Amino acid sequence: MAALKIPEFCGDLTETIKMQAQKRNQPDEINNLVQRVQNEDREAFMVLTQLYQRKVFQLAYSYFHNREDAMDIVQETFLRFYQKAHMFQKGKNFQNWLLQIAKNICIDYYRKHHKRDNEWRRDENIEKVRTPSNESSHHDPSSDIKDIFSRCLVKLSDKQRMIFVMKHYNHLHYSEIASILNIALGTVKSLHFKAVRNLRTLMSPYMGRMG
Amino acid sequence: MRNCKKTKRDLVAFLYNECNEIDKKQMEAHLETCQECKQELLELREVYEAADTLNADMEKALASVEWENFPAQIASVLDKDPTRYRQPRRAGFWTFLFQPRFRLAYAGLLLGIVVGSVVTFLIFRSPPLQIAEDGRIIAPQGFYDMMELEMARRETIDYLDRSEYLLLDFVQSSPEKSVEFWQTEHASRRAMDLLSKKKYIDPQLDKIKLAKAKFICDQIEFLFFELMQISDDLAAEELKKIQRLIQERQLLLKIKLVRKELQKSEV
Repeated sequence: MAALKIPEFCGDLTETIKMQAQKRNQPDEINNLVQRVQNEDREAFMVLTQLYQRKVFQLAYSYFHNREDAMDIVQETFLRFYQKAHMFQKGKNFQNWLLQIAKNICIDYYRKHHKRDNEWRRDENIEKVRTPSNESSHHDPSSDIKDIFSRCLVKLSDKQRMIFVMKHYNHLHYSEIASILNIALGTVKSLHFKAVRNLRTLMSPYMGRMG
Repeated sequence: MRNCKKTKRDLVAFLYNECNEIDKKQMEAHLETCQECKQELLELREVYEAADTLNADMEKALASVEWENFPAQIASVLDKDPTRYRQPRRAGFWTFLFQPRFRLAYAGLLLGIVVGSVVTFLIFRSPPLQIAEDGRIIAPQGFYDMMELEMARRETIDYLDRSEYLLLDFVQSSPEKSVEFWQTEHASRRAMDLLSKKKYIDPQLDKIKLAKAKFICDQIEFLFFELMQISDDLAAEELKKIQRLIQERQLLLKIKLVRKELQKSEV
């Protein structure tokens, strides 16, 4: 995936760190880096940030559909990681642990900043959204689907929405989602099923028009 | 062959490629034949495709961030407020002791202590009073000690009672008759009885709790002993003197007081 590709490192990172970063797929290396962060090693922290910032961004962006919010989440996630690095248990999957932090921050952030926005939005009729029938004909239909879909997505419960986002946009496996959300695999499966089915129900009045 | 209910339940997992190979093949086979499930899959796929419309935005947003500089930017926030983001100090002894992963061990330890103390209590508690088959009472040592003390108390009260009556009789008798009084069979036998009884309760009086009673009992004993020994030879004058002495020293009152005290204090 694109997010995993390591871009050019900024100049102040040493060669050794580069080498370590390239072996990122080895859990031992990641553990090593986390251990160094536990000892307040800034360089190791920056390497880990470099490696995982896109993953966190993707999760946050797909949850909020807003670049600025997503950037805030990424920053907050890594700061929290730095603070809580000592709580990482060796042998656990670092990415899952980090995404767990990101997920918690997303939910807190959403409750703090967006809950109220969305409460009135929820009451707002989706009919008001532009549809090809009441808009000029040159309008791009895919942007309508996008609009409708993002409004429907907000209507899902926090958990269903998070699972849908993790599955669809972050391409995480059910087992990874289960580990991040700390719930059973079967629960993830059934919540994902419910999320998709609910989305279909919410979108069904517009399905015909969108095609 | 799969039924529709099971297939519909797994459609989302199928759509997202989360089915294992066997399930996948079975689903495909079912979808070949079942129009209804196929239709449902198509509808779900529409949702999937609608969700995909947001991908382009995400790619755009992803591309718009300068990722190379971002880690340094975050690190600079750390530098701005180093105290806030400082790693907590290495766990000390107490933190080590109270870490959550020892929860189970501590719970077990606590349970062990509780169970242990209950068992110890059950084993070592004094057994209740039991009557053996041959009629003997089996009781702990403490019970016998208490019984003994109670017996001593009762005996002492009885002794004091009887001494009081005898002394009362003696004190109230007229000076002329007091000589005869001690010569009568009745009085001397009572005095003798009391002297022998005193010998019997003596060892019990040695116990601390009865020290006061012992003191007065000793006095009474001494008095009777003297009276029995010498009353025959005593003149009426002397006996009168003794009578007065008893009254002066308020011996009777003292006896009464000690008796009352003994009666009150249930041992």
